[in-house]
Amino acid sequence: MGVISTSSRGAEARPVMARVPVVKTAILGAVVLLLAMLVVQPFGWVVFNSFHDDATGAWTLNNYARVVQSADLIEPLVNSLLLATATAVIAVGIGVPLAWLVSRTDMPFRRSIRVLTLTAFVTPSFIGATGWILLAAPNSGWLNVLWRSLAGADGGTPLNIYSMAGAVFVCGIYTVPYSFTMVSSALDEMAVELEDAATTLGCGVLRTMLSITIPLAAPAVIASFILSFIQGLTLFGVPAFLLTPTGIPVVTTKLAEFYQLFPPEIYLAAAYCMPLLLVTGGLFWMRRRYLGRKQYVTISGKTRAGRQIRLGGWRWPALLFALLMPMTAVFLPYAALLLVSLTRAWGQGLSWENLSLYWYWWAIFGNSETHTAIVNSLVYSTLAATLCVALGTLVAYIVERRLMTGASLLGAVATVPIVIPGIVLSVGFFAAYTRAPFNLYGTPLLLIAAFAATFLPIAYSHGGSILKGIGPELERAARSLGAGEARTFLSITIPLMGGGLVSGWFLVFIPIIRELSVAVFLITPKTNVMTTLIYNAKDGGNYEAVCAMSVLLLLITLLLVAIARPLAGLTGARRTSRKTAEAAGVPS
Amino acid sequence: MSGIRITNLRKTFGNYTALRGIDLQVPNGTLLALLGPSGCGKSTTLQLLAGFEAPTEGEIWADDVLLSSPRGVLPPEKRGISLVFQNYAVWPHKTVAENVAFGLTIRRLPKAELTERLDRALRTVRLESLRDRYPSELSGGQQQRVALARALVVEPAILLLDEPLSNLDAHLREEMRFEIRQVHDLLGITTVYVTHDQSEALVTADRVAVMKSGAVQQFGSPEDVFERPSNAFVAGFIGSNNELVGTSEGAGAIRVGDTVLTAPDRSAAARGNPVSLCVRPSKVRLGEAGGLPCNSLPGTVIRSAYLGEHRDVLVDVGVGRTIRAFVPPELRYGPGAETTVHLPIDACQILAPAV
Repeated sequence: MGVISTSSRGAEARPVMARVPVVKTAILGAVVLLLAMLVVQPFGWVVFNSFHDDATGAWTLNNYARVVQSADLIEPLVNSLLLATATAVIAVGIGVPLAWLVSRTDMPFRRSIRVLTLTAFVTPSFIGATGWILLAAPNSGWLNVLWRSLAGADGGTPLNIYSMAGAVFVCGIYTVPYSFTMVSSALDEMAVELEDAATTLGCGVLRTMLSITIPLAAPAVIASFILSFIQGLTLFGVPAFLLTPTGIPVVTTKLAEFYQLFPPEIYLAAAYCMPLLLVTGGLFWMRRRYLGRKQYVTISGKTRAGRQIRLGGWRWPALLFALLMPMTAVFLPYAALLLVSLTRAWGQGLSWENLSLYWYWWAIFGNSETHTAIVNSLVYSTLAATLCVALGTLVAYIVERRLMTGASLLGAVATVPIVIPGIVLSVGFFAAYTRAPFNLYGTPLLLIAAFAATFLPIAYSHGGSILKGIGPELERAARSLGAGEARTFLSITIPLMGGGLVSGWFLVFIPIIRELSVAVFLITPKTNVMTTLIYNAKDGGNYEAVCAMSVLLLLITLLLVAIARPLAGLTGARRTSRKTAEAAGVPS
Repeated sequence: MSGIRITNLRKTFGNYTALRGIDLQVPNGTLLALLGPSGCGKSTTLQLLAGFEAPTEGEIWADDVLLSSPRGVLPPEKRGISLVFQNYAVWPHKTVAENVAFGLTIRRLPKAELTERLDRALRTVRLESLRDRYPSELSGGQQQRVALARALVVEPAILLLDEPLSNLDAHLREEMRFEIRQVHDLLGITTVYVTHDQSEALVTADRVAVMKSGAVQQFGSPEDVFERPSNAFVAGFIGSNNELVGTSEGAGAIRVGDTVLTAPDRSAAARGNPVSLCVRPSKVRLGEAGGLPCNSLPGTVIRSAYLGEHRDVLVDVGVGRTIRAFVPPELRYGPGAETTVHLPIDACQILAPAV
């Protein structure tokens, strides 16, 4: 050897200094621009509009004055807080014990429970609400009918889904998957040594659980409570279906109302978003603070040896409890939806002559509107998820590797949408992009951008957590061998992220395809997606079509998830052992 | 290949000063060891050399090419400097052959030349039979050799090694020391080797730079730093050492407590300034001076350990000061035994504290 083969040396004049890296600068610029367009501009419009008068367009503080003074604007706020608190209590109250049962005990059918939780997760909660309307509407609800047939005609109607209790119930059971997933992954990742250490010191099973396991999982529990709370506060479909008919307003439905007024009170709506943002933002900040101080949340050791706690005689009662969520969130509502979707005309009751696949045929082939919506849903969700993951990953990379000054500000911007309710973001996108120079109203781009913006925080935080597991040395090694930053990112970082990126894509794709509130103000008949079509068809009272489309939406999503799971595993399989990546990832 | 010239290199991170202005000249083909405890600035120096950090002040030159200055940094991929990491940083998603060939692929070498150089590199580190394995199927030592081959196959002008042996077990570490020196002798690439292990530095290096708190304490040959340490820190860091802290009583004399001891003075300290008397435990004698001119102190044995080849005896010489002596194993001293400690004057040095 001995001849220097590196291309640059000798070619560079003295003294040699770095040229401006063109590709890098262009990419950084594009990321900053995209973030500004997707987050800063829509959000900025909401803030800007909130200080303007709907009638005259002049600067004013009147909107805020009205929000704090008028009773019919304060009532929805109180209702929203009530709904959110109750949702969080139910989600944590069911989700945390469920997580413990599934990841720590020998309860039967643990895997099935996990799968059913995923099924609940992919179900849009407003579709669940539709199922529950069939089950528990006063008088006509099947469970009420069943009760009357058992207790006699004068048994009354014990269940009324059109009530605050009904909305709390539906919001709660569809938020359980969030708390379940967060807490069970915290329990799964907890190093078994931490518990073993307690056991060797003479700690019993119960004592270990109380003094080690639960405190270590506490940050996850608290985080899941806060996220469930935000979820309950920002949901739109469930209150629209269950509370609006009885005249109980919440903030999200009230916001929609401002838009449907004539003339619409858009600027007042903007000001009315602010209390919601204040609460969600405050909670999120608290969560960050809390988690920031407890760095042990993700202490991960070797893969768990799977030491299980024996439940003994409690195994079957435990299973009964564990089935509560799948039963109420999956089996019952889908049974109702499926039955209705298979009847030609639901009103004619159940009979063999009335059974048909007509509505499925209608949805897929017969009706151009639904046909378009299915295609739109798939295309928009695919593109939006791809854009979202690409941008989220790039931002995470820039932040993790500090590629520019102010990198952490980029990360903060990418996180902002998590505290913005979908309906508020929708308002912002409407304000920002339906006017000149963009004029995007009625284009798929508007929806895709809004979807990508809404779920950017998920993509960003997911990307960041994968990158944290990849030591910068692995990239620096490539740099020192002559690969530029772009080349290093593509041939080292991206392949190492591999399966994680695929699972991140689905983590974004699923909520996008079932998202309603972001889309509801942005769609036009040509850009309708399945969720908005179902939402509007339900308003029209065509339950058979609604049910058929809901079942289709679930089937399509589940099918894609089924395809994705082995795919995510396959890409990860090549780096046979994660230990190497981790060993190499420890900074010196 | 090129020589390295570092002038007045300073690096600060916020309020923390990692490098306080270091100067180093590494002639072409030299193996330099940067030796020091953790936090001494040796790794920072390496990151600056590789181009991953920009200096706050000072310059780095490779022959007549300016690599780094506060005004700009030639990016790592343009430097022709290869780096071997402490954790190897072998890419887990690439096979051994793909790992080693990566740098050649970047350089778009013709296929035939690429294959030939890849094969030669794998042969050099004896990995031909493992070329299609993934890193997770390799031992630590094998991964280490992949990292080395990957760095060498591109024929870098300069090779940087960042604590390359610290993750290996003791036996393998000893073997790899010689292997690294052998590869260096074979290829003659200018090499900078960062380590906190003095014996690694002494075995492998042509030149040693001993660092502490962001400054070079001594820059010299292995013999220089061991036999003629420039200050008390270097004496203590390299090899076993006794250090008696005191004040200068003028050239060649040091006051330790009430006693004045004499020794060759390499401190250049004025009377009254803090200095130390340093002496290796292997030179200390107990009981009889054996005819050598000595500083002699009465003492009490505190502890005695039998180590096979010698006996390690710790003696209290009053006012809380102790002296370690390595004495022949047949001399038996039990705790509490009274004895006289002789410090041969020629083996003692009066040194200044660390820079």
